[in-house]
Amino acid sequence: MQTQETEKQFEKLIKENELLVFKVCRMYAYTNADRKDLFQEIVLQLWKAHPKFKGESKFSTWLYRVAINTAITSLRKEKRFITSYEPEALPENIREENNSDVEEEQLQQLYTAIEQLTQIEKAIVMLYMEDKSYDEMEDILGITTGNLRVKMNRIKEKLRQLTKNN
Amino acid sequence: MELDDLKQSWQKTNKVESHDSDIIRLIQNKNYGPVAALKKAFKKQIKLMIIVPFIIFFTNIDRVDRVLTSIMFWSYIAFCIGLITFSWFNYQMVKRMESMDGMVKANLEQQIATLQSRLKWKITGVRIALLYFILLAEVMPYFQHYSMLDKWHSLSLAVRLAAYVGFLLLQYFISTVVSHRKYGKHLLYLKQLANEMQ
Repeated sequence: MQTQETEKQFEKLIKENELLVFKVCRMYAYTNADRKDLFQEIVLQLWKAHPKFKGESKFSTWLYRVAINTAITSLRKEKRFITSYEPEALPENIREENNSDVEEEQLQQLYTAIEQLTQIEKAIVMLYMEDKSYDEMEDILGITTGNLRVKMNRIKEKLRQLTKNN
Repeated sequence: MELDDLKQSWQKTNKVESHDSDIIRLIQNKNYGPVAALKKAFKKQIKLMIIVPFIIFFTNIDRVDRVLTSIMFWSYIAFCIGLITFSWFNYQMVKRMESMDGMVKANLEQQIATLQSRLKWKITGVRIALLYFILLAEVMPYFQHYSMLDKWHSLSLAVRLAAYVGFLLLQYFISTVVSHRKYGKHLLYLKQLANEMQ
């Protein structure tokens, strides 16, 4: 009975924050099957770590830590080729909707460029795009804010070059 | 294209459907990640090492006296106990790798340290097991006679020593290759990530 209650509470929490998990999956997995696998692995890791969550940090901070750690250490399938972002190919549960066609096109360009970044750079970009403060990013990644700023500037330049070339 | 210009549209990304992601079903599934696979392998090894001595014992039930006084049987039991302890120790070590809620950098450093120590212990464990069997092969014929070991002892000590050295060298070579294939690439990948975070 208590387990069922805990499961329900956990389900509610995940449903509320599903989009964050989805964004991590989209960043680190390139095929539909890999995204589904990663989504499941992250949810499982969150479920395992859930009893240890004491609210010392924000729930989203804790969730990002588990999701990024799982994505970069568990998914060992090597990237075979660079694919562009295909919304129609996403699993139904994580399909998304964007705004105008121009924005959609720009985002698509960005995702293609992001695929060429390293695993750590992807995490930094994602948190930056989610408007996380450098302090919060430090709390998730463990990289000092000074170092993060330097890295962020380099990533911006790298993305600028990548999108220019595409 | 400027990253900051896209921030707003990135955040405006909305889910359309979420009704079919059955979280409860997902958490009831088993893990398939590398850590889960390692844990499963160690559990299997422990179970097998517990069962095998019983199988040997019960298949020789009509010769209980011979089994119970056989040095070979007790050496095997000692080997199984050693392997169970080793697998349990490894299982606990790998379990530490499962914790994913730490800061990414600290988590990576911990994973690297655990994997490196696991590799070191694995190579040491195999070497100890091999030395144990060499010792048995040399000592056992003085207490009990087994035709195979007697034949082995009919060879000169120099030939036997050369064969043992050969075995140890082969073990060193195979362990290095297998460890590199199984963990080396992953370890290198984790180290690269950790370096990137410096």
